[in-house]
Amino acid sequence: MKQKTVVIEIDEHGNSSLDLEGFQGSGCSAVAKDFQGRDAVRSVGNKREFYVQVTATTQEQERK
Amino acid sequence: MSKYLEMSTKLTDERYLVEALRELGYDPEVCREGRPLVGYMGDERTVRAQIIIRRRQLDSASNDIGFARDGPGVYQAIISEYDRGIGFDDAWLGRLSQVYKERQTMAMAKAKGYIFKGREVINTPQGKKVQLRFGVR
Repeated sequence: MKQKTVVIEIDEHGNSSLDLEGFQGSGCSAVAKDFQGRDAVRSVGNKREFYVQVTATTQEQERK
Repeated sequence: MSKYLEMSTKLTDERYLVEALRELGYDPEVCREGRPLVGYMGDERTVRAQIIIRRRQLDSASNDIGFARDGPGVYQAIISEYDRGIGFDDAWLGRLSQVYKERQTMAMAKAKGYIFKGREVINTPQGKKVQLRFGVR
């Protein structure tokens, strides 16, 4: 299983970006919240792995 | 990878703001109730701030620089036009925010049990970026 890693990059202009690697599904939201703190979110993107669990769940529901 | 966020730093924590100012070479005064800022002629202004860099630490013609906490608890910088013109501008505030965010992140990560994996400074055309890596238990 891929190790879960958080990478935060902080620039000189008061902005930062947060990359959550190795997470699947919505489990990364709590981690994102920790690193976001009270900062304002400018944009959020979900990457491919985020949809793995969601898709599987949807297919399971369709079979029922 | 599953999630990517872009954020703007808000200066909300007194401790890390004071630490960041110290790292930039200042000795800020802290008063939770707020104190008046002093102008370049020694005149006390009506505007008050909770965190103040007194003018003697700045240029000979500088005014105090203040950070006043607003309603939602965000510190807003109060900087005179003169002082903005001599370098206490958005770029200076950006560097302050960078140090603040790094300190806040390190403290939060330690408190919540994230495993620190390393720090790297990356040179980009837009300036230096501090990259911090953490593992998750």
